[in-house]
Amino acid sequence: MAETKSRSKRLMTTGGIIFLVLGIILYFAKEPMGLNRKIYDLPIFLIIIGLCSAIKGYMAKDKTEEEAALAGKTFTEFLTNNAILLAMLVLVVVICILQPRFMQIRVALDILTQSSTKLIMALGICFALLIAGTDLSAGRMVGLAAVISASMMQTATYANRFFPDLPQVAVWIPIVAAVLACMVCGALNGFLVAKYEMHPFIATLATQVMIYGACSLYFDMPPNNSQPIGGIRPDFAQIGQLRLFNGLWKGFPGISILIPISIVICIAIWFILNKTVFGKNVYAIGGNREAAVVAGINVFRNIMFIFILASFLYGIAGVLEAARTAGATNNYGNGYETDAIAACVVGGVSMSGGIGKVGGIVMGVLIFTVIQYGLQFINVSPMWQQVIKGVIIAVAVAIDLTKYRRK
Amino acid sequence: MSEYLLEMKNITKTFPGVKALDNVNLNVRKGTVHALMGENGAGKSTLMKCLFGIYEPDGGEIFLEGKKASIHSARQAMDQGIAMVHQELHPIRFRSVMENVYLGRFPGHMGVVDHKVMYEKTKALFDDLELDVDPLALAGEQSAAILQMMEIARAVDMKAKIIILDEPTSSLSDREVDHLFKIINRLRAQGVAFVYISHKMKEILEISDEITVMRDGTYVGTWPVTDEKGEKLTIDFIIKQMVGREMTNQFPPREGKPSDDVVLKVENVCSPLKKSFQNVSFELHKQEILGIGGLVGAQRTEFVEALFGLRGIASGEILLNGARYTNKSPGFAKSRGLALLTEERRATGIFGILPILENTVIANQRSYAHFGVLNDGRRKTDADAECKKLNVKTPSLNTLIQNLSGGNQQKVLIARWLLTNSDILILDEPTRGIDVGAKYEIYNIMLEQIAQGKSIIMISSEMPELMGMSDRIMVMCEGRVTGFLNKGEYSQEKIMAFATQFAGRKDSTAA
Amino acid sequence: MRKVFITALILVLAIASCSFADGVKIGAGIYRFNDAFMLRFRNAMSAESEKAGAEIDIADGRDDQPTQDAQIDEFIAGGVNVLIVNLVDRMAAQGTIDKAKSADIPVVFINREPPLEVLNTYVKAYYVGAKAEESGIFSGQLIVDYFKSHPEADKNHDGKLQFVLLKGQNGHQDMILRSKYSVETIRDAGIEPVELASAIANWDKLEAMKIMNAFIMSIGPENIEAVIANNDEMALGAVEALKAQDYNKGDPSMYIPVVGVDANASALEAMDKGEMLGTVLNDADGQGSAAVKLAVSLAQGKDVSGEVTDGKYIWVPYQKVTRGEKQ
Repeated sequence: MAETKSRSKRLMTTGGIIFLVLGIILYFAKEPMGLNRKIYDLPIFLIIIGLCSAIKGYMAKDKTEEEAALAGKTFTEFLTNNAILLAMLVLVVVICILQPRFMQIRVALDILTQSSTKLIMALGICFALLIAGTDLSAGRMVGLAAVISASMMQTATYANRFFPDLPQVAVWIPIVAAVLACMVCGALNGFLVAKYEMHPFIATLATQVMIYGACSLYFDMPPNNSQPIGGIRPDFAQIGQLRLFNGLWKGFPGISILIPISIVICIAIWFILNKTVFGKNVYAIGGNREAAVVAGINVFRNIMFIFILASFLYGIAGVLEAARTAGATNNYGNGYETDAIAACVVGGVSMSGGIGKVGGIVMGVLIFTVIQYGLQFINVSPMWQQVIKGVIIAVAVAIDLTKYRRK
Repeated sequence: MSEYLLEMKNITKTFPGVKALDNVNLNVRKGTVHALMGENGAGKSTLMKCLFGIYEPDGGEIFLEGKKASIHSARQAMDQGIAMVHQELHPIRFRSVMENVYLGRFPGHMGVVDHKVMYEKTKALFDDLELDVDPLALAGEQSAAILQMMEIARAVDMKAKIIILDEPTSSLSDREVDHLFKIINRLRAQGVAFVYISHKMKEILEISDEITVMRDGTYVGTWPVTDEKGEKLTIDFIIKQMVGREMTNQFPPREGKPSDDVVLKVENVCSPLKKSFQNVSFELHKQEILGIGGLVGAQRTEFVEALFGLRGIASGEILLNGARYTNKSPGFAKSRGLALLTEERRATGIFGILPILENTVIANQRSYAHFGVLNDGRRKTDADAECKKLNVKTPSLNTLIQNLSGGNQQKVLIARWLLTNSDILILDEPTRGIDVGAKYEIYNIMLEQIAQGKSIIMISSEMPELMGMSDRIMVMCEGRVTGFLNKGEYSQEKIMAFATQFAGRKDSTAA
Repeated sequence: MRKVFITALILVLAIASCSFADGVKIGAGIYRFNDAFMLRFRNAMSAESEKAGAEIDIADGRDDQPTQDAQIDEFIAGGVNVLIVNLVDRMAAQGTIDKAKSADIPVVFINREPPLEVLNTYVKAYYVGAKAEESGIFSGQLIVDYFKSHPEADKNHDGKLQFVLLKGQNGHQDMILRSKYSVETIRDAGIEPVELASAIANWDKLEAMKIMNAFIMSIGPENIEAVIANNDEMALGAVEALKAQDYNKGDPSMYIPVVGVDANASALEAMDKGEMLGTVLNDADGQGSAAVKLAVSLAQGKDVSGEVTDGKYIWVPYQKVTRGEKQ
């Protein structure tokens, strides 16, 4: 046992160093060897991966006897447990061979940008999953927030203004309005689930339909009459489009503001789940609702809060989507909840409640985005993309269930 | 033909980090009741799960009637004549009793169920076992005792040769136990063998023919209950084998007396449900252990749950330390210094998928929080101290509670409520399904709490426990308080008389 | 007394019904209300009916053919004189025609054109719309005009046009014809079109933005010479994706011409800012009023042979739009 753990440590460290050295060599060799158009930023990626791996291998603590026994993984077990991740890595390698442009820093940044709103959605929906529920209204809340915020953020000169006489209000007002509207819907979800002990599937299905209807009514108000909202004020669009450190060096596209926003939210949610009474109560209610009641946890209040917090995040995601695309229609966010749930499940959140970590959700979202993005990158037909997406979800859940099944 | 119906030889099973079974043997003769004993965590349930195909043993062999058997699933076990009646039954609540009996093997042709045949077969089966239950009644409305006998009926109908009974009497009243034993005796005479898992010594000596004792996953030995000279095994002998040491006292000595201060006064409390508790009145004194006795269906659990805010109260008055108390919610009860250890440990007690740490501090989170943010360090030190004090056996606080034995789970739950520093502990069957050693530890904890000025209400269906631990006993029957007994006037007969006061109206087994 | 009252009531009713455009009642079925283009269409129809004094009842087919079929049955049962139908599924035209035929009321199809052989099965069936291929031709022409007047647009100087194509919903007639004719027009003008990539973005801005982003990353913006989108929303999505790479923001060396179809307000604004090259107006207002005018004439039994071409069609032309002005 002792030998294997030190071996895995050594493997990580030496592997990391090999990557690192290879990366540095390639970095200086690619210009003279004319590889610039063949490997793009591959050396930099190698250096980063190598560094991370080497540091992790070096820093890794020796596992205690018990942990080692519990981990007790054989190679095949390791393969099955990480099948989705490995499939992603294989896909990435294939894409890099087919289309070397994939190996660019800007592509990596782009993937992170695209993951941002998805991550915010997934973090919201994970609360519902943690109490063995679900939230079907998530996507429609994104649409609601997008339409509300965009409708108040049009330039004065735009021909087709939603509110022709609305003055140029401060940016935060529509954002707060949009997020509050979502939180009201979230409160309704929570009320139905907590008060009537409705299954979240039904409760959120009902609100989903209501929200879409209400949003469509709003969207259909004259003079807009269901036209896509455009003419978005640049100061609002900046919230989703701003790029930090743009042009820091030649060709550097900048880091989308969405990335730091989602990182901040991620840390906040991690903190809430792990360091607050509320977070612990969420796990407890998900683990055993009856026992939570007996332990004196106010289940009603916690469930209300869960759905309101989740809808707050959907609202933020909706505002960001509107800002990023500088526009909105009532169809925004359609189907986002399924992607978010799928990403959570791939990230190890159990549908039966009580199990799930923020780190896993981040992984799930990244894996999902990389696969989707990669398939689009090599121009795989959208129908095939759907098929592959479905397979990923099924495989992920199957693996998850075998992990928890005891035999 | 082998002399044994079932032989399990050198069964070994390892879980990650734990050797649950180490070369265990079990030999059961035809037409006998074979008791399987050991402390919780000794590996009895694991062994039975290996027999029943739920676990796959790592080593060892199983022989049925002398032939090597291969059992990889519960289905295969049943096909080969092995049936298991679990400790906690999960019937399909909204279907009839008969459908539960014939679940998975409905009589009929080509997928069409013949309800008439099913009814008649169930009726005949029940008549044979002297069970007075309507096959059409809903399973969810039946008592634990009936459900258990329903499971046995199912096993009989499936022509089971071996029936495993896991803690069959843990939720049964004495009268129901008698009925169960009658059924066991009848089936034993027909050649059916039983593997009987229980912690109740008296019962074991009464019903079983042979005893196999396990300790810490190993095989200790097998003895006939009555040897050739006609001498019976003694309880002390069995306990010695189980714990590996002598145990003289079942209960720790009680020091001191309850004070005269009344901490809880309950007057004429009635449930909104007619069939539940009515007109309950009593006083609980400081530093008193008030035992509540009664048969299954006496509504004792319902009453304490109502007190704790889990159920409604229609009328009546409750005074807590002289102040009016309303049973708003469990959270409110908690804030008023009440604690409830529920009867169903798995259903309403533990959070199986959460670590011990979380299970210990869950009821006390608020005291570790500033504006909702938790102080992790204090949570850990508190949980660690409390679990150490109660002698919870676990590798670490991060172990999932579902991996602990029942006794250790119970200790964690008690630790949970001790952390809230409640003044009144309500313990509903605190030692159900727990081995002798752990029981003794829990009794000690109770007395320690009393010494610290707390008061305890304890529901128990085990007469010795009720009489051994209580300062006073209140007996309930069908939702009403039928009598109080003071220390010194306890006897099993008196308690039974109160507990069956209304029994003339209805057979209490069906209650 | 009562008699007098009833007579008066009948009289009032009779006068009232007379004052309504000769009692013309139009039943209109729209494939889905929640569609920006059909909304303009609807508004134009309502306005025209009011002008003509006809009564119009418009139903939302909710993108579901059976729903629309039921609505048409309801219209017929309710006694409309003429039907205007925007089919959910243009291949389901025969069923609608059969219903109208058995009730002997005329039917005017709009926006989604039924096959000619189906139209021919009923003399009183007509179609009002724009020639979808025309929108494709015009967007091709917009690109061609730009290419001819801006030689630097041929970035790699190979004389060919490297473009990406953003397509509408799969199988939609407009998507097929617009995609086909825009490319053919470029070829007919003597420039060889080279399709670098194409994808279905379902008429949606967000989806188009994501897809365009992937194109930019995988192909490289320096290699794309034009973006052709089947509608404006997708064109605007492409514009947003380009802007995120600092393209189309005013620097002439970083510009890719983008064309769409519909001429919606956002597109006009984008053109004013120079972010988008041009668009093609599908004249919803013109089509809506033409459809209602035809329907009213048919309901009144007037001869319409002078207004229709080939005995079945009224074609409302598309218009090219650049820089916010109609050409």
